[in-house]
Formats: sequence, C-alpha cells, structure tokens
Amino acid sequence: MATVESRTEYWERAKEQGFDLSWLSQLQEHVAGEGVEERSANDTGRVQGSIPRGNVARFGAYTFRTKSEVWAYNLTKLYEEFITRQWSSATDIPWDTIQPLSDDIEASQCQLATFFTQVEFVASDVPGRFISTMSPDYQEVRLALLAQVMDESRHLDVFRKRALANGGGLMRMIDSVSDVVGGSTDNAREFTEFSSRLHITGEGNVLTLFRLGEMMAYNEAEKAIYRRCAQDEARHVAIGVLHLRYMNEFAPERREEIHCYLDEGESRQATGAGGENPAGQSQLTSQALAVLLGGGKDKMDEGQNILRAIRQRQTKEYFQRLKSAGFDDRIHNGRVNPALLEQYKAAA
Amino acid sequence: MTDLNSTALTFPSVEWFQALQELVNNDEEFRRLGNIDAVMGVMVGEKVYVITFEAFECTEVREGTEYDLIDADFFLKMTVEQWQDLVTNTRDNNGADLNHTLNTLDLMIDGGISDNATGDQLRADIFFRVNQSLQHFFDSSARLNTVFE
Repeated sequence: MATVESRTEYWERAKEQGFDLSWLSQLQEHVAGEGVEERSANDTGRVQGSIPRGNVARFGAYTFRTKSEVWAYNLTKLYEEFITRQWSSATDIPWDTIQPLSDDIEASQCQLATFFTQVEFVASDVPGRFISTMSPDYQEVRLALLAQVMDESRHLDVFRKRALANGGGLMRMIDSVSDVVGGSTDNAREFTEFSSRLHITGEGNVLTLFRLGEMMAYNEAEKAIYRRCAQDEARHVAIGVLHLRYMNEFAPERREEIHCYLDEGESRQATGAGGENPAGQSQLTSQALAVLLGGGKDKMDEGQNILRAIRQRQTKEYFQRLKSAGFDDRIHNGRVNPALLEQYKAAA
Repeated sequence: MTDLNSTALTFPSVEWFQALQELVNNDEEFRRLGNIDAVMGVMVGEKVYVITFEAFECTEVREGTEYDLIDADFFLKMTVEQWQDLVTNTRDNNGADLNHTLNTLDLMIDGGISDNATGDQLRADIFFRVNQSLQHFFDSSARLNTVFE
C-alpha cells in the first residue's frame, strides 16, 4: 500500500511531467498500490484497491474471479482511447447533407442500417451480461467492456436514425435460422468464448465493412457514420486480440478450446451462416452491399466484384490478428478453414 | 507560429512534415478527435519518414530508413506519384475528397497502403483506431504551400 509520503513524491513527479499519459501507470503503481490478484477473493463488491472491512454480506458471487479468465494487456491505455474518442450521433453527424436517393439505393442503405442496428444490439447486450459477473478486482476489463457498451449503443442508435432519416425506414430482419440474436455469440457463457466470437470474428468482419462505408456512402452524413463507427469497432477488436494474446501466454492449457471457438467462427465467416458477416455470400445484406458498392440494382455485378475483394481483405486481416494473438499455428497446420485459406492466398 | 502559406515547402521533406506537426499541435480540432499513441512510417517511393504521436500531439518527425519501419506501429506506402496525387487533391479540395482519403486508398490501391512490417495486425489496426486523426493530419496539408521535387 502506498504511503502519504510516497504519494506526495509521486504527485510532484507527475506535475513535473505535465500529467502526461504515463501518469496513468503511475496512478496504478503509486496510488492503487496493489497488483491485480490472480484469484479474486472479493465477493463483497469492494472496489479494486480499497481497504476491506469485515461483516459485509457476500452478495457478489461473481462467476469470473480468476485473472486468466478475463484479463487482457494494456486495457487501461485502451480505455483512455475509448473515452477521448467518443462522439455523438446527434451533434457529430451532418444529417442535413442527406438528400433523396433512388429507391434501390435507399432500400439497400436501410437494409444495411437495419442489420447494423440489430447486430449492434447484440454487441452491446452480450458484453453487458459479463460486466456484472466479473470480480471488481478486474476493473480494467470492466471499464473496457462498459466503454464498448457505450460505443455499441451509439452505433445502434445512429444506424436506426439513418434508417428512419430519409423515408426508407427499418427493413427486414436478416435471413438466418440461427440469427445474430439468439446465435452463438449471443449464447456464449464463457468470457473467452464470447470474446473470440464477438471481438475477433464478428467485430473483425464488421470493421472491414465500416471501413468500406466511404465507398458506399451517398452523402457526408453516411460517410461520417461509417468513419466514426470504424474507429470504435477497431478498439473492440483490440480487446479481443489483447485477451487472446494474454490467454496464449498465461493459459496455454486453454489453447485447444480457443482453437475450437475459432473453428466455429471461421466456418460462419466463410459460409455466411449465423448472419454475422454482412459480406457473407448469398445474404440479404450482401445483396444490399452489392447494390451500394456497384451504384444501383442494375450494377450489382460490379458491386459483387468489389465485395469479393473485401472478403479477401477481411480474411487477410483476420489471419494477421491470429498471428498477433499467437494462434497463427492453425494457418500452417491445416486446421484453418480451407475456404478462408484460399481467400488469404488470393489476397497475398 | 511560422507563416506556412508564404513559405514554399517541398514534398516529401522533413520540413514539410514538421509544418504539419506544427499545424496539428496548435489545432483544437485535432485534440478533440482524441488521444493518439502511434509511431507511423511514411514511405514515399524510397524515402522514409517516421512520425510519432503521443497523447494529443505529434511529438517527433524525422527522416528514417526502411529498418525504422520494423518498429513503427504501421506505415503508409505509396509511390511518389500516388503521394503527389494525394497531396494535390488535398490542396485542391481543402482536404482529401472521397476517393483520396487514407481509408479509401487503403481499400482501393492493390495490396492496400497501410501495413505493419512484421505482420502484427494489432499494431496495424491502430491505423483504423485513430484514422480520423491521421486524416486530419494529412488534410492539414491543404494549408501549406507545397511544391514537389
């Protein structure tokens, strides 16, 4: 535990350095004064680093109380990025730039906006479930997930607004027996299972789509929406990569289990099953994307060609994330989904 | 602050990137876009420049070599002609138009323009995470009197 004297020294040093971002790690080191417990005995909701007291009801029967189940590298810094890069769908989007569009373009834009509203609903709902089941000792993880929920709620709000803004309205739910709602991400019970499915597979694919937004936007408002959302989505992907990297290092006994999650995610990515990859083949959303990218219903072939290149890009980035997380052995040992491997080779 | 409009600055050069550094470090809008911690390599043909961002500032601009790209979080690579096209388009439109944003160029130019030298996508993804700030950095070049070599 830090003393008053050491805190005074720390404060002087922080002042000299102009309270730059290294201050964050200094805060952890000198004020919190405790490392993160490998196994949390905290079942009373006591905030991380505070002084425990006896005779408190043990109401916090947290499901996740082992560091290696939930931890990820550098989340404190990532959380600061989350917070300083927030935006508002009300004030940061130039809604007045939206003009009437042809029916096929408007319908496609609205179909896609409906999908994103739906998928972001799940992407906020699922992390939200895990936050309250995690020991408060793992505050960094809680904060990152809370910030993600904030991002996702803004996304579902901004896409809903777009669907309603220009006369098109919300369109049909996506076609899938096992929908994104009630699908495998929605049903995840374990943190790493959830993070592999949502952060690595789902959000990785959606990130490429958001980046694509500039090419399928028909006004400044849509461009701004996609640009802003892409930045947010990349932070969510980072949570997953940082978690898997930590798991690879500190819980190698779970590597096979993680590979199984990746097997399943890759299968969905390659086939479009589960409806999570809007660029997946033969889906309502991929048809909408082809119309938007091609420039109309009569130019869908052109759009499909761009979409093919985008799928290759999705796969390349996914493979490189596997490498970053330490799970790229599956690329070389024949385990990776063959259809994705083919796309990767085509992209290389 | 230097009168950047009256001084002709050659692209690419350390002075040109330093002028951008000065512009964004005095720009409230750049700060408002959020913190950015990244080392970015810029490869213009054979020439390499290393730009460092910390918190809300661009803290260093220097000339480098290809070896420096190994330590960069990501680097942007285009031919001299493609960079000149980007800088000219940025100047003519007071910021890159839809076909010349960094993100669009990355999607449209064969192989992309942004990568991490070691294939580490986590670091390469920083390009996406702070893309608005990077775009603002290069868009600021519309305020420079740029000449080409």
